[in-house]
Amino acid sequence: MAAETATQRRREDLEPSAAKRLSGWLRGYTPIPGIPDELFDAGGRPRADWLSFLGDFAEYPDGESKSRFDLATRHIRDTGVSYRVYGEENEQSWPLNPLPLILGQDEWREIAAGVEQRAKLMEALLQDIYGPAALVSEGHLPAAALTGSVDFLPQLRGVKPPGGRYLQIYAADLGRGPDGRWWVLDDRTQAPSGAGYALENRLVLSRAYPNLYNAMNVERLAPFFDGFRKGLAAAADRADPRICLLTPGPFSETYFEQAHLARYLGFLLVEGDDLIARDGKAYVRTIAGLKRADVILRRVDADFIDPLELNGASRLGAPGLLEAIRAGGVAMLNMPGSGVAESKSLLGFLPKLCRRLLGEDLQMPNVATWWCGQPLERNMVERNLEQLAIAPAFNSQSDDGALTRPRMMADLSPEERADLRQRLADRPGDFVGQEVVRLSTMPVLRDGLLQPAPFVLRVYAAWTPEGFKIMPGGFCRTSERPDVRAIAMGGDARTADVWVIDDKPVERVSLLASKDDVKIRRILGHLPSRAADNLFWLGRYVERAEATLRLARSLCTSLMDSESAAHTSGETLASLQELLIDWGALDEKHLGLGALESARDALHDQTAYGSVIYLVRGARRTAASMRERLSADFWTLLVNLERELTEGAQAPLSEAEALQQVESALQILAALAGLAQENMNRVAGWRFLDMGRRIERGINACRITRTFAHDGATPDDLDLLLDLADSQITYRARYLVGLALTPVRDMVMLDPFNTRSLAFQVQTIREHLSVLPSLLDDGMLEEPSKVLLPLVADVETADAKSLTSAKIQAFERSLLRLSGAVADRYFLQGAHAVPTVKLGGLA
Amino acid sequence: MIYALRHRTTYAYEEPVTFARCVLRLTPRDSAAQTVLANAIKVSPRPVDVRDGVGPFGEKTRTVVIDTPHETLVIEANSRVDVHAPTPPEAGRSPPWERVKAAGLDSFVLGPEGPAAHLYPTRRTPAAAAITEYARQSFGKGRPIIEAAAELMTRIRDEFTYDPDATTVSTPVLDAFTARHGVCQDFAHVMISGLKGLGLPAAYVSGYLRTIPPPGKPRLEGADATHAWISLWCGDTDGWVGFDPTNALIVQNDHIILAIGRDYSDVAPIDGIILAPGVQTLKVEVDVIPQDEANVAAAAGPRARSRAG
Repeated sequence: MAAETATQRRREDLEPSAAKRLSGWLRGYTPIPGIPDELFDAGGRPRADWLSFLGDFAEYPDGESKSRFDLATRHIRDTGVSYRVYGEENEQSWPLNPLPLILGQDEWREIAAGVEQRAKLMEALLQDIYGPAALVSEGHLPAAALTGSVDFLPQLRGVKPPGGRYLQIYAADLGRGPDGRWWVLDDRTQAPSGAGYALENRLVLSRAYPNLYNAMNVERLAPFFDGFRKGLAAAADRADPRICLLTPGPFSETYFEQAHLARYLGFLLVEGDDLIARDGKAYVRTIAGLKRADVILRRVDADFIDPLELNGASRLGAPGLLEAIRAGGVAMLNMPGSGVAESKSLLGFLPKLCRRLLGEDLQMPNVATWWCGQPLERNMVERNLEQLAIAPAFNSQSDDGALTRPRMMADLSPEERADLRQRLADRPGDFVGQEVVRLSTMPVLRDGLLQPAPFVLRVYAAWTPEGFKIMPGGFCRTSERPDVRAIAMGGDARTADVWVIDDKPVERVSLLASKDDVKIRRILGHLPSRAADNLFWLGRYVERAEATLRLARSLCTSLMDSESAAHTSGETLASLQELLIDWGALDEKHLGLGALESARDALHDQTAYGSVIYLVRGARRTAASMRERLSADFWTLLVNLERELTEGAQAPLSEAEALQQVESALQILAALAGLAQENMNRVAGWRFLDMGRRIERGINACRITRTFAHDGATPDDLDLLLDLADSQITYRARYLVGLALTPVRDMVMLDPFNTRSLAFQVQTIREHLSVLPSLLDDGMLEEPSKVLLPLVADVETADAKSLTSAKIQAFERSLLRLSGAVADRYFLQGAHAVPTVKLGGLA
Repeated sequence: MIYALRHRTTYAYEEPVTFARCVLRLTPRDSAAQTVLANAIKVSPRPVDVRDGVGPFGEKTRTVVIDTPHETLVIEANSRVDVHAPTPPEAGRSPPWERVKAAGLDSFVLGPEGPAAHLYPTRRTPAAAAITEYARQSFGKGRPIIEAAAELMTRIRDEFTYDPDATTVSTPVLDAFTARHGVCQDFAHVMISGLKGLGLPAAYVSGYLRTIPPPGKPRLEGADATHAWISLWCGDTDGWVGFDPTNALIVQNDHIILAIGRDYSDVAPIDGIILAPGVQTLKVEVDVIPQDEANVAAAAGPRARSRAG
């Protein structure tokens, strides 16, 4: 009744066009019969909060809401708040619905209370499993309902978790059942994903519809994340702890979510290789030495975190981490082993366990589930095999062809059915039978029409010093298909922001900055060694690509420009080709080929490790693993460059086309260099990027000078050299006499004012090294400086007249030594320099 | 029977190794079936850190950290063990295997001594359909479990060829099964996979086997090897029973147990991580010397092994 009058009032308040739009939406919306819906309640009346939202939403003129939404999406996703741009192969993409899921306060209280209780239950369960194991020994829980999980880690039984608890974050996947109640479909205790997406979705919608967002008393997410951060910090044994987010790396399908979370929360994003376990503690390798990792937020499955004690094939963890956890030297959350609590085998026991562990009834039911490890339950499942979903009871250690996800018998082929029946008979403990869940629907906009879509809601509980707090919102996924069975939820899902409407005005808390409690810091930062390594190589790749492009350009122009046709003939062509062969851009057997073929290969030969396309791919891959450190523009340019080259490789290019490709690629590289110079903060990261570029450029300068400015060089050679060194204009401005060997050599090698000369490179590198941290406290020079300083002196005191090939070669060798010394000092950490190898053999 | 055991492992590296962290499982297991009288482990070069512990399956572990650069690493364990295993239960009187399978799921023991810890497939012992079907042939309806398992063990001994060159330490069990070739480790994994495929709790055992020199020849120094077999849980009454599929023997006093786990990965006598750029070579020498040589002639002669059993 109240809703009826609200509807009335709502419609009367609206502009006529908005009222028309709203009633059109409502009229056109038909919930699926027998399935609860979020917009219309059981009596067929629209819910007040939804109506209020849709009414306001209807006030946007036709097309405006869409353009607002598109603009906000593009803005958020392209400006680097999110990193999910331009189709990374492994990325899970979650297109966002323009409408949020709206939950009223009453609804939310029920959800929040249920999820909070469940989080406490899971924590208590884990405390018992890895502690006294009374639930098992007292007969409440068969041991086999636990031991099938790859996350049941006997190694950690009896170990007190550092920080005192197992769960930092817990999530429950919820659906609304036919009776209108919320049900738990799945528990997530390992390392729940999606909180970062929830953040991002909120940023998009709050920017797209700021007036609606502010008018509706939508509960803010920021306080939740603030509590989350405090909870993690509290797990450390010292103040101001270093908190790391351990990611499986860029190949993880939620990598960008992890990178986003790390940046938002101010955590260091680390991979296994960044970590070293030693003396019962964990450390991050940084350019300033090993720095303690106090707390590790784990996004790597437990099985992979320690190749010494767990999965020996893992490259995602660090050997000895488990020992460090046992020694109490690092708090890892969620604690390894927590994943056992999400085993489906446990679902049927939870009501009983809740009474036993918390002394209260389970508030939010889970999907009815029967673990086939028990005879009665197994019989019940076998009798109803066709009506139930069959699901794996555990995340198993072995992938031996059993089920990997819930299936309906009816959806299986006859062979699969027979196989499943046999496995169920042989190994009943591996399976559960589950009631088929039907999801409720929420409205989504499709082509301007309001339509019902089945959805699953993931709700998060985070441990904070004040106990578990629930994120007021969540990660909602809607299905594109009308099939409401939960198991039909496929990879084509979309997401929706979740708005919890408070009945009183909410305090406005910004998502992006907390007020004045941020300490001002103007330091280089403890750049992890791996990031420094990647940046250094990114610099080298990009510079080498540029040098190769210049060589290819010379090959092309020589063909088109009849005056310098000499380049293509005889020795000069051979010299260019030899350089390309030396650099791995060209196969040796191409020595006799024409200039155009050589240019094409140098650009596009996918198998040559020195070809431009190969180098650019290397640069892009390197950049992908540290996108949180690069601006979105930088990444976009790099991806565009790769795309252009890949497209160019499709068909053989003419001279003009090849030249155009080269010019375009050089322009993009120039833009990249400009971005690095002007848009990158001068922290340590930039210094490594630039140092990589400088060392590479110095080496290349030496090589081309030796090739084209030897004692017998012709004016054509010198002209070409100035082209390759991008020093034509500088030279012509300074020397009116024309091309002569000594001034050209001086310009390319020794002139400290030419940004392309060797002298300029070594001086820039000296500046970088002087700013980077030293590990020595005795005032002695570190190895890179010991290599560099004599080189600087040699270059400064050299004389172009007497600059022999041997001398230039010595410079080049010094630069190569310098590159090695930089790697040893900053990337590899001395004794821990070499990658770890599993001690092998049949011992 | 009292045995003197020497187990010497030598790693040689092409380039100096600057850091090694090893877990050693070289202390024989103390149990009702065997008593460890003495155990000493020598590591060269000298470790900077030595920590003794107990692993997840009750095995005694020693973790050593070496940070002096070295080109060879020598680990030698010397032990004296008194093996006095009880007579295995009578095969024909053991419970039907289906009853054992049900009891395994219904156990309320979470620790490694219970069946639940050894019920589920692992990376090295998957419940592969082909191996399950192979095992099923010995497990007729209602057959006493020890009888059925003994037959499976004997079939593996008869139908598989002992061949140290056919497999390596990391060969997947299904490959060894398909090839019907391998060594003790492979045979044990095959048997465990088959048993687990049928829903039975089976464990992997590492240890040593007394070998018998050919008649009239002296025992050769270091000629023995480490060995592996399996342990099957046969119900609450009969408990764990050892089966050696390499030699078709039900385990009693010729087998000395080092450690028990789910598969080789859990019990590898030496497990470790080194920082090494180069190649490593490995030599293992084992001597199993019965202290009462008089009994030697009386015992049946299991196959002698050059590489780990």
